[in-house]
Amino acid sequence: MRVPTAKVLLVARRELFQRARSRAFRIGTAIVALAAVGFVVLPSALAGAPSTRRVGVVGEHSASFRAALSTAAAAFDTEVTTTVYADVRAGQRALRSGDADVLLVGSDELVWKQGADPELSAIVASAVQAAEQQRVIHDLGLSPEEAAALLQPTPIRSRALEPVSEDEAARMGLATIALVLLFSSISVFGGFLVTGVIEEKANRVVEVLLSRARPDELLAGKVLGMGLLGLGQVLLVGACVLAALLAVGTADLPEATPGMVGWVVLWFVLGYAFYSVVYAATGALASRQEDAQSVSVPVTMLSLGAYFLSFVAMESPDGLLARVCSFLPPTAPFVMAVRAAVGTVTLWEVGMAVLLMALSIYGLIKLGGRIYAGAILRIGPKVRLRDAWRAAGS
Amino acid sequence: MLEVQDLTKRYGEVLALDGCNFSVSRGRIVGFLGPNGAGKTTTMRCIFGLARPDAGGVLWRGREVGREERRRFGYMPEERGLYPRMRVHEQLAYFAELSGLGGPAAAAAADRWLERLGLADRARSRVEELSHGNQQRVQLAVAMAHGPELLVLDEPFSGLDPIGVESVAGLLAELVSEGVTVLFSSHQLDLVEDVCQDVVIIDHGRVVLSGDVLELRASSSRRSLRVTVDGAPWIPSIGGVSVVPREEGRPRVLVDASTDLDEILRLAQQAGQVTQFSFEPPSLSDLFFETVTRKGSR
Repeated sequence: MRVPTAKVLLVARRELFQRARSRAFRIGTAIVALAAVGFVVLPSALAGAPSTRRVGVVGEHSASFRAALSTAAAAFDTEVTTTVYADVRAGQRALRSGDADVLLVGSDELVWKQGADPELSAIVASAVQAAEQQRVIHDLGLSPEEAAALLQPTPIRSRALEPVSEDEAARMGLATIALVLLFSSISVFGGFLVTGVIEEKANRVVEVLLSRARPDELLAGKVLGMGLLGLGQVLLVGACVLAALLAVGTADLPEATPGMVGWVVLWFVLGYAFYSVVYAATGALASRQEDAQSVSVPVTMLSLGAYFLSFVAMESPDGLLARVCSFLPPTAPFVMAVRAAVGTVTLWEVGMAVLLMALSIYGLIKLGGRIYAGAILRIGPKVRLRDAWRAAGS
Repeated sequence: MLEVQDLTKRYGEVLALDGCNFSVSRGRIVGFLGPNGAGKTTTMRCIFGLARPDAGGVLWRGREVGREERRRFGYMPEERGLYPRMRVHEQLAYFAELSGLGGPAAAAAADRWLERLGLADRARSRVEELSHGNQQRVQLAVAMAHGPELLVLDEPFSGLDPIGVESVAGLLAELVSEGVTVLFSSHQLDLVEDVCQDVVIIDHGRVVLSGDVLELRASSSRRSLRVTVDGAPWIPSIGGVSVVPREEGRPRVLVDASTDLDEILRLAQQAGQVTQFSFEPPSLSDLFFETVTRKGSR
């Protein structure tokens, strides 16, 4: 099938610019970009906020306790202030009003407003312990050297059987962003295609169009135009996410990030091409926007299933399920993106998946093109797949 | 010249076209008339390859109509057929480009047509913001922008008020005077009687009558007679009279063309004062019903 490119490009240009110029689309893009940036920025913004804990103390406390408290706090990457209250009653008042996070009564009781904060509990307990040791050492009259020897902690090495590096955790985050972006872009732009196809059919523009261009030219142009717009949006949102990651702190950015952006773009292009043809062809089956939902349900279910499977794949990216799914065209775009981020993918695996994907896209264009051509001029109730197939074949 | 030859098209149980046969002469404005469901739209779709006939074909200047020929055609489908939210000028230029004009030529054609239709100030309006009549005119411009030799319009007058009909009809007449061939369909025979030079009347997928309107009317064996006596409709009591049932309040009868006019006038004057007396060739719908009834009774 030789498709004269001029008409395809004309149709694509119209699709792209008409949609890009609509206010709804611009607002939607801004919201998506903001949401993606928020997804990156918010966790660290929230985590970075309240780092100073306030400890209320009732009764005697030594200078060494306060020193031990700040040492212990430093170990937890936080700061602690202490306030002395005259009696338990005053301390509890401060606790209730939120002026103190915990109240230490004597050296053997911690009072909380609602529940114990294990981290703060450990900080205070270890400070109490340290102050107590200091006191005993002092009472025994040991020399500073003896005291130092006594307090010298035994070094303990630790090792993990399945270590999760910070980098890996960040990769998981990145994979999640990539997945959400891939799935939502494919669904949203697929949805645009469905409504666009039905709009043309419902108001008969398609007859004017088809008196000037062939169905395959029209279909190809629509898919291409919407795809370029989608790619633009993916790149824009991706750039926003990268900028946000950089702004939050380069330490959070895994080494794999630039490569990851490349993978997302590749799998968006392939995944979009795969699903969009199906979306456009199913859109042609309906004549009214009310039927848009029902005709596209099977496609939506398929992509949703693939999307969920990819979260399963994220748990064990090199497991059998993930391996198999990364080759199957409906799931490959999502699962391969995940495996590229958190698993180990060899080049031949990617090459194989891309090849299978390309073959299935070619087949779908043929198949979808025929269904589109067979259904696009049939106004009225929903066209059955079989009828559309036959209509175009005769 | 456009020749539609023996078009047959079946949609499931429905036989939409049953050997539809007619031709359209160059530089004429041809009304393609018939009741709803007669097969008009299907025929037009076959001309543009939007429907594939089961049998028969369409020729343009003696050659089978294909992609190349269709580039010289302009088509306006029934109602709407425009992107409601696209701007008028952009839309015109887009369709012109899709019809094969280059970008600048398409933009120039859009300018020219908007100027011609008096819509230059609406160039940047969205189509949905225009009145129905103006939308119809933009549609015509869309069909014409690439300068086709044949213009095919499906129900261009439906839904238009008398002023709209007048303006579209005027435009079609202008186009024909510029050498364009126009084929348009309508189910309102009386509405378009004065617009077309030739007619093709179709019923149940077959052409029942075709030719030059004036000739068809004149050569009919019947005449339309309308007489008012003392302000009330009057019907002569002679042989061969058939009452036209459709015209409320202003009864009209068909009589044989050979009827003696003097005799009727004398009878009418005996009945009272004659305030109106018209004796004309039958209208297109008279011809249509006469033909259909004759065929039906056969």
